Amino acid sequence: MEHRIDPWLILAVVGILAASLATLHAAGPVLGSGLLLRQALWGALGLLLVWALSLPNLSFYSQFAPFAYAASMAGLVLVLMLGEDRGGNRAWFALGPLTVQPSEFARLGVILMVAAWLGRSRSQRLSLQGGLVVAAMVGAAVLLVVLEPDLGVALTYLPIAAAALWVGGVPARTWVVLAAVAMIGGAIVWQSGLQDYQKERVLTVMDPDRDPYGGGYQVRQSKIAIGSGQLVGQGLGHGSQSLLLFLPAQQTDFAFSVWAEATGFVGATALLAAYALLLGRIGWTALAAASRHGLVLAVLVGSWLAFQVVVNIGMVLGWLPTTGITLPLFSYGGSSLLSTCVALGVVQSVWRHRLLYS
Amino acid sequence: MELREDLAPVKRRAAVLVALALVALAVLLLRLVQLQIVDGASWRQAAENNRLRRIPVASQRGRIYDRRGIVLADNIPTWQLLLFPDEAHDIQETLLFVARLGVADAATLRSLEAERRLARLAPLVLADDLTWEQVAKVRSHQSDHPELAVVNAFRRSYPLAGATAHAVGHLRLVSRQEVDADPGLDQNTLVGATGVEALRNAFLAGSDGTRYEVVSAVGQPIGVVRESAPAPGRDVATTLDVHLQQVAAQALGDRSGTVVALEPATGAVRVLYSSPSFDPNIFVGRLSRTEWQQLTDDPGRPLNDRSLQGVYPPGSTIKPFFALAGLAEGEITPDSAVTCHGGVTLYGHPFRCWRRGGHGGVGVVRSLEVSCDSFYYQLGYRMGIDRMARWLRRFGFDGPTGIGFGQELTGLVGTPEWAREVRGTPWYAGEAISVAIGQGPLLVTNMQLARAYAVLANGGHLVTPHLVASADVPPPVDLGLDPQHLALVVEGLTRVVHGGEGTAHFLSRLPMAGKTGTSQVARLQEGVRAQDLPEHLRHHALFVGWAPLEQPKLVVAAIVEHGIGGSTAAAPVVAAVVEAALADWNGNGGPEGEASQASDRLGPASPPASASAAAPASPADPRPADDPG
Repeated sequence: MEHRIDPWLILAVVGILAASLATLHAAGPVLGSGLLLRQALWGALGLLLVWALSLPNLSFYSQFAPFAYAASMAGLVLVLMLGEDRGGNRAWFALGPLTVQPSEFARLGVILMVAAWLGRSRSQRLSLQGGLVVAAMVGAAVLLVVLEPDLGVALTYLPIAAAALWVGGVPARTWVVLAAVAMIGGAIVWQSGLQDYQKERVLTVMDPDRDPYGGGYQVRQSKIAIGSGQLVGQGLGHGSQSLLLFLPAQQTDFAFSVWAEATGFVGATALLAAYALLLGRIGWTALAAASRHGLVLAVLVGSWLAFQVVVNIGMVLGWLPTTGITLPLFSYGGSSLLSTCVALGVVQSVWRHRLLYS
Repeated sequence: MELREDLAPVKRRAAVLVALALVALAVLLLRLVQLQIVDGASWRQAAENNRLRRIPVASQRGRIYDRRGIVLADNIPTWQLLLFPDEAHDIQETLLFVARLGVADAATLRSLEAERRLARLAPLVLADDLTWEQVAKVRSHQSDHPELAVVNAFRRSYPLAGATAHAVGHLRLVSRQEVDADPGLDQNTLVGATGVEALRNAFLAGSDGTRYEVVSAVGQPIGVVRESAPAPGRDVATTLDVHLQQVAAQALGDRSGTVVALEPATGAVRVLYSSPSFDPNIFVGRLSRTEWQQLTDDPGRPLNDRSLQGVYPPGSTIKPFFALAGLAEGEITPDSAVTCHGGVTLYGHPFRCWRRGGHGGVGVVRSLEVSCDSFYYQLGYRMGIDRMARWLRRFGFDGPTGIGFGQELTGLVGTPEWAREVRGTPWYAGEAISVAIGQGPLLVTNMQLARAYAVLANGGHLVTPHLVASADVPPPVDLGLDPQHLALVVEGLTRVVHGGEGTAHFLSRLPMAGKTGTSQVARLQEGVRAQDLPEHLRHHALFVGWAPLEQPKLVVAAIVEHGIGGSTAAAPVVAAVVEAALADWNGNGGPEGEASQASDRLGPASPPASASAAAPASPADPRPADDPG
């Protein structure tokens, strides 16, 4: 039996996309109008993907998962060899006018694979061995992304692993073993797997003071922008911080600051509410799922998105370090937007087939 | 269909995650409340500061003209380098960059912090004479240094440079104390430091405007939010005669000294020149510590305005005033005469006349013509110092001339009270005898001297010297001198030039009267000639005169430091000025036309053609070594 797509989730997605497009439109004089058109196209395509990917049932995703995972890993390996070199950072494929970021899509492969694997489990608690398998599935992908290096994206894989282990219910000693393995593995990679310039890049990301124009300066400008929005904001296209380019990366990492400056506390709260609705509906989908597989799928997608939302907004509000993590559905960028929509499509499949035990 | 498993424990764990996410969002909401509602106003203020620069727009200072409309102080367009200290990431790095540009030396830049010029939110003008290369360098590093801005501005310029340096004056930066005392005062304000610039500062200055400029994070001006236009200052026409000023400068050459010329009827200053001079264009008040230091350390003290701040013993130039005093007090009469034997003995001490052989019988008129010392020794003896001092003060000595310049010195007329209270030694009766010939405790400025001679030339009126004619200038004061006495003194001074024995007879081709003076810097030893002394011990040479003889239009006073003889060194300087003035009055050479044509090439290096013809300052001038004094 099938149900309709979740209208509340669609409402949240459309609301966030609309706010994003309005912000890009207002920033036209500063950033150019090309961004708006592209993002609108990606948004339309994304909504189509949500609908299309909600159609297959979960057994399809279960069977498809190994292929998706293999393709993802292949993509991550290929981009290290063939990717476009942007100052030593190989994270993008250039396909004509488009650039594709495999690490954004590989996350989907990881989610599908982990969910499919956990969905087959019949025990109430995941064993240590099971936990290590989950960690290895995620860890392999994380390793490849770190090698690009794109630490921001690599970080977004971690909530997937953590959530999988949590809902899987691994025993406490598993967490201890995994932490030890992660530290040793990290040290080995650091010592032998990374070139000096790669280490330097990683350090720069971890320690913003290495870059005088990053870190403190960016966050201060962001706080000025958000704070100066006050209750109702300065109006779209009238925010001085964004208009005058004091705000860095304002279409991507700091997009929320532009919105908060323009629409004030009212608009920022509305956007937070839209994310609460989105995450709440994903959570509701997980709790409504008839199968363990569906539940885990929704939980993993929800954890990943919640992590990005909280870390990004926490960063622009000056509470968390700048890590280059974007705000899902809101930050400009086709790869991020489409991969989010694909994930939401899978969640909608769970919703539509929530009574179907597979 | 498999058996449904119990998902309840898994769902409980999932529910924890959902709750965690929603709690995190709620916490972020609290942060928004703090940033936007609680602290919103102060962040809004920070945003305003981020985008708005408050730039003071200096008003264009009024121009300064000479009496014929020749520009003495002008404004030229220039590139100004502004620093916004609060926008700098690293102010030391910025100053290093500026020092490398070569717009200011490192010592000056280091002193900025000590003077707290960097502490205020207002921008600081680092330089206002950027070259094209410097502008290009700043612009090409604009994104690294958004705190630096190059703006169009005006810079003060003095086309005649050293020729008018002391009279026109120059500008200085307001001091830290002045800025602290007046919060509305922009720290980059330039005010007149000396000369007419200082005298008429309020008039010339106008009022500054303010521009609020939007700038991007990389310091790029985006637009002007609002602007209050500056009110330009008003022009000032001075009484100076640039042509005569240049002739005086030319005539003095590289000798130290001063030339002052007044219109005797009004006190209008025609010439106010002090040598050595300096080029006021090398500093207009900003960041010129090194050059300023060089000028301050110069042993010739070029910054010193010798016309107003130099005090000299007047020597024989003081004699006409004692002659008038003696006649008025009845100590001498138009007919009384003394016999000069080459000196007199008073209080048991011999006082020598400059002419060892003596002048024979000397009356008032001849006493001036030949500058007989014996006549004035005896006059001083009869009058006493108190009456002498009172008369000198009536002619304006020992007091300000009223010209209004900041640091005018008043000179000295020594009296027994002065000796007791200031000098701290008793007054010797013989000192009055020295004062009678302009030596001893008697010091005057060249301006005082010119003003006192104006009294002789204009029929007995004490005028107030002024560089700018205005209602504020006090009218001439009638000193109530007996016209007959005055006529005798004028005759005596006329005979100095035109009489057969006159001490400046070599100038008799000119329709002028005057008086020589030589003032001792050190007492000569027997058998030592003044020429053989080291320069700093040589006598000062003075000459004060007027022209023409009927209804004089110009009083000229010249002092040549260590010039030895009033007639050999100073008289030719006065003669040069008088000759140039005569040419102007006679329409010879057309002062208006010449002046306006010459205005853009005027300068000490290119004197007007008439100047050289009118400057017989040749050392070959035949005068006896023994000079009247």
